[in-house]
Amino acid sequence: MSNDPIHQFHINPISPPIHLGAVDATFTNASLFMVAGVAVASGFMAWAMRSQALVPNRAQSVAEIGYGFIHGMVKDAAGEEGVKRFFPFVFTLFTFIFMANMLGMFPYWFAPTSQIIVTATMALMVFFTVLIIGIGKNGFKFLKLFVPSGVPIYILPFVVLIEIISFFSRPLSHAVRLWANVLAGHLVLKVFAGFVPMMAAAGGLVLVGSILPLTMTVALYALEFLVAFLQAYVFALLTCIYLNDALHPGH
Amino acid sequence: MADRNPPEDRLDNLRSRVAKARGETSSTSQPPDSAASLAFRFGGEFGAAILVGALLGYGVDFFIHTSPWGLVAGLVLGFAAGVVNIVRVASAYNKANPPDPNAPRIPDDDD
Repeated sequence: MSNDPIHQFHINPISPPIHLGAVDATFTNASLFMVAGVAVASGFMAWAMRSQALVPNRAQSVAEIGYGFIHGMVKDAAGEEGVKRFFPFVFTLFTFIFMANMLGMFPYWFAPTSQIIVTATMALMVFFTVLIIGIGKNGFKFLKLFVPSGVPIYILPFVVLIEIISFFSRPLSHAVRLWANVLAGHLVLKVFAGFVPMMAAAGGLVLVGSILPLTMTVALYALEFLVAFLQAYVFALLTCIYLNDALHPGH
Repeated sequence: MADRNPPEDRLDNLRSRVAKARGETSSTSQPPDSAASLAFRFGGEFGAAILVGALLGYGVDFFIHTSPWGLVAGLVLGFAAGVVNIVRVASAYNKANPPDPNAPRIPDDDD
């Protein structure tokens, strides 16, 4: 069990079965860590900003730098109007993914972003936000997104089809990128870490050799921390780029 | 003091001077993309477009019974959309990270 790399992704119910109509809403370890991610993120923000000092202490500085970081990103990618409309959404997505990834880095804890249903839900939320805000704000002009300017009329139908496919491929690549990075990272970590007890149990010269996978595990752990941040950042950045299309369709 | 400007002027452009000193330009918050994450992005964009194209083609087949031509056309169009996606990502990346003009020239087959 402890050497099975897939074991860490198993979903286990931790409450008696809950059924809301046809929906199975049983509380599982995945739900627990998603709730924990939200609780830690919002708890930290509330705790860090409790004094609201003009000259911030250390915790308040961290909260303000995080806020400023996302604010700058939304402003760069979607402009002032994007900040006004979408900043809370993007900030929530970023802090949630970041906290979920970070909590998943603890040994024996669970990374909710390693489940594609979680990342796909967030990607589809962004996708439908783009559709609804885009059509609500621009009306038919939103369809200009599919009709690039300066294309000769005889290949325009193909280009429009290609643009439509490209548009619908966005939530897929958006969701898969975060999911695959977290899943692959945790798998590789577990595989390398699993070599250590196996080689140690063999004894003799192999026992000495077990230092190699151990070193690799430590190095990969550092890399995974980078990935945990970078993938949260990339997810939020792509969200901004897609949301910008809702505000300003047409290339 | 060599600076003859009245003190109000010095305060006026303080913000821009601080921004300049910090090296802030339009994009302040971008950590550099690693090569691996860029490669992952290319692969994801390309594969996703092919999948979605094939799926849409299959859907057309299912509803108007043109099997297998919808799937074939969807795959081809999805492939094209994947290439479009990659070109978009690459051109956005190149715009954000312009090549160093002083970099040494890499010889190619024509040289």
